[in-house]
Amino acid sequence: MHIIDGALTNEVVIAGAALSVGGLVMGLRKLDMELIPAAGVLSATFFVASLIHVPLGFSSVHLIMNGLAGIILGWAAFPALFVGLLLQAVFFAFGGISVLGVNALNIAGPAVIVGLLARPMILRAASARSVAVIGGIAGGLAVSLTTLFVAISLGLSGETFVAAAKLVFIAHIPVMIVEGLLSAAAVYLIYRVKPELFHVMSQKS
Amino acid sequence: MKLNKHIVSIAGGALLMASVMALPAQAHKVVVSAYAEDTYIEGEIGFSSGDMAVDTVVEVFDMDGNKLGETKTDEDGVFQYTPKQAIALEFRANLGQGHIATYQMEVDELPDIFSSDDVKAENKPNDKIVASSTTAEATASPTAGTAVDPALLQAMISQGVQSELKAFKSDIASAVRREVKPLYKEVAAYKEKNDMQSILGGVGYIFGLFGVGFYLVARRKQTNSNN
Repeated sequence: MHIIDGALTNEVVIAGAALSVGGLVMGLRKLDMELIPAAGVLSATFFVASLIHVPLGFSSVHLIMNGLAGIILGWAAFPALFVGLLLQAVFFAFGGISVLGVNALNIAGPAVIVGLLARPMILRAASARSVAVIGGIAGGLAVSLTTLFVAISLGLSGETFVAAAKLVFIAHIPVMIVEGLLSAAAVYLIYRVKPELFHVMSQKS
Repeated sequence: MKLNKHIVSIAGGALLMASVMALPAQAHKVVVSAYAEDTYIEGEIGFSSGDMAVDTVVEVFDMDGNKLGETKTDEDGVFQYTPKQAIALEFRANLGQGHIATYQMEVDELPDIFSSDDVKAENKPNDKIVASSTTAEATASPTAGTAVDPALLQAMISQGVQSELKAFKSDIASAVRREVKPLYKEVAAYKEKNDMQSILGGVGYIFGLFGVGFYLVARRKQTNSNN
């Protein structure tokens, strides 16, 4: 999921950086005091989740948890995930500093999209079960969007888009399933235990 | 309600499974190492998960980005390249899906074929001394007869030792290479290790950062409400 330094053309790197700056500004404006603790926790969740690699056939994959971050934080997911990516690049040379913009866009972009789609639905949902279903679908969708974004950035840099897209997508099907389940469980838990969190985000989005 | 409980337990199980499965797994990062063998450079490319890059084209560049040649990895992810000039090299392989392996090799890491020339150049003055003393020997011996000049003897001994050393040098070098090779691998593996300390450190940084953010926002809010 993390593209490393040198894999992309300069145009893609620059465009990614520019779009990410936009996302960060937007996200920081939405990051209100009530959301900061949640953003910190989700940032840490992302940081740890993407370091845990599950070997799978020809390569290995890792959890991303960007769907959950998007559902809870909306636009504020952008700075939260960016901080996680930055520290992974600094601590583990995971990803890279020059491609940070593209990576942030590939991971936080789908989070924001999924968040904006799923949040109104969750607020309108009648029962905890339907909330869990929406959360699950959103969690899986965020991962598949990320694979699409990664394939697009590789495709724009010269790799054949269809082959790259297929490979990344197939490798991440198990991740989509696991993340869907995790997001469903987390959203369900929030709905049961702390539904105020959804109301906080509805005011801020 | 019952169904909901089931959903929770299934999701909890999935979480548990994911964390258990994840325990022995390692980071999925590209690992490259290269070292001088005899007269060529040998290197390895793979992932830190232990999978090696099979049949991958490895391109060789100089430091200005000019391509010097290319080679290919075998089924163990090992490639070999024989350098033609004594310049710093960069090896680069595209493993697909945004994974690029690069490794830079400095001039002093290159195989002996070049460094021995450098050594010769350094030793040249020494050789000259030996050479001049041998000519001195040739001219001096008929007149001096059997009397041994200690300086001459010294020169002869040092010449003999030098040539012996030269003969042994390649043996010593290959023995050292053999001994050091596992260390190279171990150091490369160690560099890739994500240990608990750094993960916890990263989490700490994140909480610290958001704590600072929280503090700043809270302060701004307070001053706003005071005004």
